[in-house]
Amino acid sequence: WEPPKPKPYHDVGNLRYFLQEPDCYDQFSVIYDGGDRTAIFKNTAREPVLIEERARWTETYIRWSPQGTYLATFHAKGIALWGGEKFEQIMRFSHPGVQLIDFSPCERYMVTFSPILSTQEDQQQIIIWDIRTGMKKRGFHCETQSTWPILKWSNDGSYFGRITPDTLSVYETPSMGLLEKKSLKITGLRDFSWSPSDNIIAYWVPEQQNVPARVTLIQMPSRQELCIKNLFNVADCKMHWQKNGDYLCVKVDRYSKAKKIDEKDQFKYSGLYYNFELFRIREKQIPVDKVEVKENVIAFAWEPVGSRFAFIHGESPRISVSFYQIRPGKVETIKTLERKQANHLFWSPAGQFIVLAGLRNMNGVLEFVDASDVTVMAQTEHFMATDVEWDSTGRYVVSAVSWWGHKVDNGYWIWSFQGRLLQKIQLERFCQLLWRPRPPSLLSIEQMRAIKKNMKKYTEQFEVMDRLRQSNVSTEILEKRSEMMNEYKSFRERATEEWESMKYRRLELRDGVDTDTLEYEENDEEIVEFLLKVEEVVVEE
Amino acid sequence: TATAVRTCGFSFSGRYIMYTTDKTMGRPCEIHIFDLNDIRNGEPTMVIPISSSKITSAVWGPYEEYIITGHENGEICHYDLKSGDKINSCKEHSKQINDLQLSKDMSMLISASKDTTAKLFETATLGHMKTYKTERPVNSASLSPIYDHVVLGGGQEAMDVTTTSTKVGKFDARFYHLVFEEEFGRVKGHFGPINSTAFHPDGKSYSSGGEDGYVRVHYFDPSYFDFRFEF
Repeated sequence: WEPPKPKPYHDVGNLRYFLQEPDCYDQFSVIYDGGDRTAIFKNTAREPVLIEERARWTETYIRWSPQGTYLATFHAKGIALWGGEKFEQIMRFSHPGVQLIDFSPCERYMVTFSPILSTQEDQQQIIIWDIRTGMKKRGFHCETQSTWPILKWSNDGSYFGRITPDTLSVYETPSMGLLEKKSLKITGLRDFSWSPSDNIIAYWVPEQQNVPARVTLIQMPSRQELCIKNLFNVADCKMHWQKNGDYLCVKVDRYSKAKKIDEKDQFKYSGLYYNFELFRIREKQIPVDKVEVKENVIAFAWEPVGSRFAFIHGESPRISVSFYQIRPGKVETIKTLERKQANHLFWSPAGQFIVLAGLRNMNGVLEFVDASDVTVMAQTEHFMATDVEWDSTGRYVVSAVSWWGHKVDNGYWIWSFQGRLLQKIQLERFCQLLWRPRPPSLLSIEQMRAIKKNMKKYTEQFEVMDRLRQSNVSTEILEKRSEMMNEYKSFRERATEEWESMKYRRLELRDGVDTDTLEYEENDEEIVEFLLKVEEVVVEE
Repeated sequence: TATAVRTCGFSFSGRYIMYTTDKTMGRPCEIHIFDLNDIRNGEPTMVIPISSSKITSAVWGPYEEYIITGHENGEICHYDLKSGDKINSCKEHSKQINDLQLSKDMSMLISASKDTTAKLFETATLGHMKTYKTERPVNSASLSPIYDHVVLGGGQEAMDVTTTSTKVGKFDARFYHLVFEEEFGRVKGHFGPINSTAFHPDGKSYSSGGEDGYVRVHYFDPSYFDFRFEF
């Protein structure tokens, strides 16, 4: 046995170089040409500037890691991660047939899923990898049908959990072992989710026999129950955490009548009505507010930073969008916008602004709303839009028509957060655009407040820079046009010479008639009167 | 003729006519040339068979020395009248050529293609000069006889589109600056794709014919003639 030789240190460079972009242009990835070409662009002022483009970089699609450090590409053999200024390959992970991936929020771990069950290599369907070392940390088999991601991470990456029938298993990192070597037995467990900011798990259990359904919040790792809410007549629940972890909304579908289907433990529900249970996580003992909704809820979204939420409700053609605010002690309606064509909500990552979109079969209607007073700033459309993506700073929105959804007019349009159309980019068989995420800001709240206070000073500097850039661009364009015109003029001179020299031929071909300067004959108008007939009419007295 | 005729035209002197036939029913695509001074019982003076991609558009070269052909694969060629040989060709377009038109002095050739672009070439050399980009297939393109303007007409083929925008009259003719390749105007009005465009010889108007069955004649208003591009 020989001790392993130390591998030479591979310097990947500054993986976060993109944050130091002097003009703060964000990057975004574009897949086009039906999937054959993948390109990374910089969101520059007049048109996107290409940073890197590779043919067949990925075989299906791509994903950015949650903090934007890595670009993941999919291949038949597994996943590759790319990063750094030159997008070099950072790490490779072998998982044949991989279809889905997920990253831990801290970017230390990546989970891959492949449906292939290979008995020879004892391949597992779900594998957890350590990204830095590329080592396989743990694998799982996929027993039941679930939605991806099957393993859910706590926000700091210390824990991850998964559901198996009647069981919630929580594992800790880096050991990947079961926390306290014991799973939680929860009969009937349907779904769980982590708070995006704390190690708190929320899960819900449907009603069983005479026991009502309930939503429970527990603290990890202590497993201390922080809050239990009993709910009656529950058909289904859906959990929505606010991005800062300040609130949890559980959308509850309630029934008036339930009929049991045969011997199976399934019910048929009718007479559904809805409400939201709003948990105030930061307040003592987590009080819960209830908001009733008359109609079917199509979409729900928390404002990422703040205490507002919006949801789309109703049935076509009477669809409305309502805005609510959570205040100490009560939840109040801000306003409801009626008769809207919307099936998706997209809040700006910075809060306050929201795009109401009617995607796909609603033909791409887009409305830009300022939630502070719920006024519509702009009503526009990107015909047949299939996707909407905010950049991570909340300054720009992209609406896109993906070739995967619609076969013509593929491309993306860039809008300002107020709904002003900035650029229209058409790309042959454009498929997907993803903004490169940014890691959370390193500034403290006081520092951010100080910057906002001194905004006027910074605005002056920016205006000067902008003005300079504008005039530069103008002169650039003028110079370019001048060049093009000069080139063309020299061609024109040659063409005119040729034309003159061929005059003889033209005369030849047209039997000596000079047709070069054939003008229309000036028509003189002459009025000529002709006597048509003479008629005598006797006028009666 | 045995198969459908795709394009036809009079030569500069009017002495010759040419037409091209389709590649169907086992017959190859052909260029037929007739000498009107010498019609020998309906037989063409010259037949040039095309074995490569079939011809989708053709015009006479400037001085009746060659025929300029546009093909289904995007190629543009010169066929010599006397020998029937292909004497020049280029492949700048990626899809079929829908229309070919010459400038007034015949020094420039504009091609309209299904690949959503129109391109400008030097007639004699087939040297590629300019490209005008759109998002829809271009069915026809014309050069203004008095200005550096180009008009493009096109639109999505009916069978490729299940629904279009609810805005009616959405099919438009687009005006580009010949040298700068930048679009500066659009004229809406057609209810279907535009299949053919042509400037009036005096340059003061243009006409467009479309799939909707209408021919629209447009007279430019004074602002068209005052329009200038800065450079």
